[in-house]
Amino acid sequence: MFSLVVQCCQLIAVSAPPIQQDISDLSDETVRGLGAKIFDRKCSVCHGDHGEGNEDVYPDPLTGDATVSQLAALISETMPEEDPDACVGDDAEAVAKYIHHKFYSEAAQVRRRPPRIALARLTANQLRQSLADLYTHFGNDPWTQDERGLSVQYFDHKHWKKEKLKIERVDPLIDFDFAANGPGEGIDAKEFYINWTGSLLAMETGRYEIVVHSSCAFTLDFGTNQRRLINNAIQSAGKDEFREVIQLTGGRCYPIKLQLYQRKRKTEQPDAKISLQWVPPGGVQEIIPTAHLMRHEFPATFALQSKLPPDDRSYGYKRGTAIDRSWDQSTTDAALEFAAIAVSELYPNYLQQKESDEGKDRGHLRSFLVRLVSTAFRRPLDTGMQKYFVDRHIQSNQNDGDAIKLVVLTTIKSPRFLYPLLDQDRSKSWRHANRLALTLYDSLPSDSWFIKAAKQNQISESDQVTNAAWRMVGDYRCRAKTRELIYHWLDLDQVNEITKDQSLYPGFDAALVADLRKSLDAFIDDVIYSEASDFRQLLQADWMFTTPRIESFYGDAWRRVDQEDGSLQRSVSDSVNHVGLLSHPILMSKLSYHRTSSPIHRGVFLTRHVLGRVLRPPNAAFSPLNPDLHPGLTTRQRVHLQTDERSCQVCHSKINPLGFALEQFDAVGRFRLKEKGQVVDASGSYVTRDDQAISFDGVRELGDYLAGSQDCHQAFVEAAFEHFVKQPIAAYGSNVSSELTKRFVSSGFSIRQLIVWIAEIASNPMPNRNEQVQ
Amino acid sequence: MKNHLKSRRDFIINMGVSSAAANFAFALPSLSWAEDTGQKKTSRKQRVVFVFTPNGVVPNHFWPDHAGAFGTGKASTKFKRILEPLEPYKDQLLTLRGIDNKIKGDGDGHMRGIGCLLTGVELFPGDLQGGSDTPAGWSMGISIDQHLKNRLQSDASTQTRFGSLEFGVLVPQRADTWTRWSYAGPNKPVTPISDPYQMFEKLYGQSQNRAMLASVLDDLTDDFRKLHAMASAEDRRMLDQHLDMVRSVEKELKNDLQHAKTKSDLGHAVPDLPPNVTEENDNMPRISRMQTELLVNSLASDFTRVATVQVSNSVGNPRMRWLGINEGHHSISHEPDNNEKAYEELIRINHWYAQQVAYLARRLRDTPEPDGDGNLLDHTTIVWTNELGKGNSHTRNDIPFVMVGGGLGFKMGRAMQFDHQPHNRLLLSVTEAMGYPETSFGNADYCGDGALTGLV
Repeated sequence: MFSLVVQCCQLIAVSAPPIQQDISDLSDETVRGLGAKIFDRKCSVCHGDHGEGNEDVYPDPLTGDATVSQLAALISETMPEEDPDACVGDDAEAVAKYIHHKFYSEAAQVRRRPPRIALARLTANQLRQSLADLYTHFGNDPWTQDERGLSVQYFDHKHWKKEKLKIERVDPLIDFDFAANGPGEGIDAKEFYINWTGSLLAMETGRYEIVVHSSCAFTLDFGTNQRRLINNAIQSAGKDEFREVIQLTGGRCYPIKLQLYQRKRKTEQPDAKISLQWVPPGGVQEIIPTAHLMRHEFPATFALQSKLPPDDRSYGYKRGTAIDRSWDQSTTDAALEFAAIAVSELYPNYLQQKESDEGKDRGHLRSFLVRLVSTAFRRPLDTGMQKYFVDRHIQSNQNDGDAIKLVVLTTIKSPRFLYPLLDQDRSKSWRHANRLALTLYDSLPSDSWFIKAAKQNQISESDQVTNAAWRMVGDYRCRAKTRELIYHWLDLDQVNEITKDQSLYPGFDAALVADLRKSLDAFIDDVIYSEASDFRQLLQADWMFTTPRIESFYGDAWRRVDQEDGSLQRSVSDSVNHVGLLSHPILMSKLSYHRTSSPIHRGVFLTRHVLGRVLRPPNAAFSPLNPDLHPGLTTRQRVHLQTDERSCQVCHSKINPLGFALEQFDAVGRFRLKEKGQVVDASGSYVTRDDQAISFDGVRELGDYLAGSQDCHQAFVEAAFEHFVKQPIAAYGSNVSSELTKRFVSSGFSIRQLIVWIAEIASNPMPNRNEQVQ
Repeated sequence: MKNHLKSRRDFIINMGVSSAAANFAFALPSLSWAEDTGQKKTSRKQRVVFVFTPNGVVPNHFWPDHAGAFGTGKASTKFKRILEPLEPYKDQLLTLRGIDNKIKGDGDGHMRGIGCLLTGVELFPGDLQGGSDTPAGWSMGISIDQHLKNRLQSDASTQTRFGSLEFGVLVPQRADTWTRWSYAGPNKPVTPISDPYQMFEKLYGQSQNRAMLASVLDDLTDDFRKLHAMASAEDRRMLDQHLDMVRSVEKELKNDLQHAKTKSDLGHAVPDLPPNVTEENDNMPRISRMQTELLVNSLASDFTRVATVQVSNSVGNPRMRWLGINEGHHSISHEPDNNEKAYEELIRINHWYAQQVAYLARRLRDTPEPDGDGNLLDHTTIVWTNELGKGNSHTRNDIPFVMVGGGLGFKMGRAMQFDHQPHNRLLLSVTEAMGYPETSFGNADYCGDGALTGLV
């Protein structure tokens, strides 16, 4: 009846007089608090505690779209039914405000709705990865390998000639000045040919610049031997630097082939020099490090060059939710780009593999396209689909290229490709395969072993899903996604440049930051892909990866174990200077100002990211107190001074004591015991979710505490789940988070095991509640 | 007028006067050549197409015997055998004899023949060794077509979609000094597009893609409907939003296409290329035709006002089996003049090249100028040239220069004879005729006397 009356009120113009505004001085929150008390006392008997209704008295839930003042007028005049004068004026308005906010309005309904697995389109990265795998599907499966460097053959001849092969080896880097002596014994310095082959491992998606410096003629093939990235087939004076910008998709190995020709000539011959360099995303130009060179040629690889709009990150993880024109245009661009490569590379290669003439004419074209569409749709095509997506295009297009283009365009633009979660129409095995690839690779099933298993219903049982997930978790595609998780967890994924005051911190430059990044990456990989894959190492390890440059800037604690070796390697152990990632200079310098450390940034980071606690935003935007105006104060004292007010302390009493524990690391992350002549006070504290007060002194004690903290474990588990699955963890069950955390702890904190469990859960979700699937 | 000022300032700056001082120096009368050399830049559309064919010509069967007007009617000079296909364009044709490619330095005759032809400057030292002379790399300077492109593109009134187009006809798939004649700058060779389908994609790919997309989007509506059933009520909102967007894009595309169709019905239809013509020797005549169609259409649609057409390459060796000649052109070109068979074949080969130029001239003449003023040929000059004067001597004296059409505004219908003038002067004439006079182009040592006189 109540809701009926409300609806009537909407139809008739509301002519209720304005209510007295005595409560107008109070905040909304306070008024709602008053309203809540009245509601509990006078209304909930009939309407239920949350307006859900009462079967016996008033069964309908209190929901609708009347405004607060309409509701207030209605309550004032009609409620409670037995005594309408018992709740009028301010009281009625307070109740109206409370119920409107709490459950009546549509917005309140959305807030109250249980988290659900929401439909999502492919994110930008999922689109890139899916197209990359749609391409590689037509070649051999990729693999992982530890051997680094490029394979090379040196010939004492102007081109490849078997008898003239003089040296065959692996070069860890390409950076040579052969000078007058030539590349080696038995090779004429005036005339030789070198053939480097292997692959380039790109772990991060982004813009790369490939740079070759060469005083000789050379060619560089990239992605496949059919794609020549740089063609300097003849040497010409004054042209010795070659740069190409290319967008690479992370977690993939790009085959490369670099051929150098030193040609004998009548005129003066420059000394033969060559170097293979790059500028990786956010990095500096450098010789491509050995860690990124693989000695074998991987199968041909495709990286989408089209620009894609960034994804929504408002929930803390990327979601494919925005449906707009710029995204639509980007999918068209991507489809056309893929169509072009399908016409120029995939189909001709496919034909080449078909030795027999059987299926000649357009039979091969049909089988090629059926395979392409079914891989893109992550399912076998039934007869109807084959007719619709393939056959009719072949029939209506005489030109093979046009038919391929049309099929690719229809396929990539289809919701079947763009919405991978719409998969209820296929077998359990295919559905599991689809979800596993989406969760672990951000992609689609493409490897032949995987497709074969999906087809043969061998990914239907839970142990089969587990086995597949374990096989996938070590793949570079999953490794790239895992590294992204750690960057995300450390809040480092949006950081491009870190600069510091050069008068205070000379030597802290882009090259050092690039080395620090490598140190961070190597450490993350080392921990995760070690036998134990122990999460706690990220918070406790007493060593780090280092380079000569890092060592000379950060000092003894960063000494290389092997002083003979100048490359990236482990540092000596030092439990004070090294506390896992917590003390890593990348993190410490990012959480600092230009000249001073920032305990507040560090504290907020630890509270939100590492401990998973909620902080509300500051009351207003504050700029930090200028250190120069408080020359006698340490950073800790200055922060105290600024945040001492009671209104600040509501949050800063939580933030500051965490941040202070990191005060022994300055603005560039260098260890210090003193600041401004005073001993640094690095004591800190934390109050847990279950209200335990913890205290620690310095980052070592902090790290050791966090490694055993349930808050920290759960925060990581949730971050990992949402990063991999791109859905709220609660949508998979209200206890999934705590259960998974328990399992994580019991597994000895194995990160890889956690990822496998996440993939298992995501591949077999409980259907959404309230959802009627037709 | 604006461009005259510009080039004059450039000149002063090149002389070592600072750019601030250049404004001041402008007032000096001794430097005011601009008024008497430059052409008035008009709004008239001017186009130029450079056509390259390889291995020199047979001079006795190429050049008219005497300088002067060809005349008209029966009394007119009859063209020699090679130029005979161009008879119908006699009144719009100009031969320029006595122009030499004098560029020395690194590289063999063929390399300098092609690499210095449009650039007028030496090649860099390098490692590409020819059959004689020293090895060389790429050209040290920009070529005239790319220079004109830069000028035209820097002015909104002459800007076009591409600025220049580089066509090839059976240019081999390798990048070296023998296979490039257009340069965007020092050490920056421009790769010609030899595959007509690739050129088609470049010219019309976008509109073709839009048409394809429109038809695909139409189908998508069905697809969405089928998937709708798999989504929950809440998720359907997202799919509906997506479908609405697809429909509105489709509607816009269809409007665009309708509009474009109406326009193209009035103007120039997209050329219809024969399917599956592969890039191989025996398809040369077909590819030449296809490229010509694409070129004429690009000019008519004002996609560009500058183009190059590179037929094979320097040392080019097409085997013209369609003329009954089985040996390659370059091999034949080395034979002495007294080898009658070779001599005859060279005439026929060059005659075939002239036919290609004549076909281009015909297609231009048959296509009305879009603004209604005459035909395309009236506003386009084909500059047909060659790497060598004569094949067996490898001379770069008397480089064949034959112009057809009214784009440059030269006085046509005649043969001109020069006394071994460097071809840099002719390049200066071309840029001047296009409205961008320069004091030098390429190696300045060969530009002392400025543009050639007597062309207009």
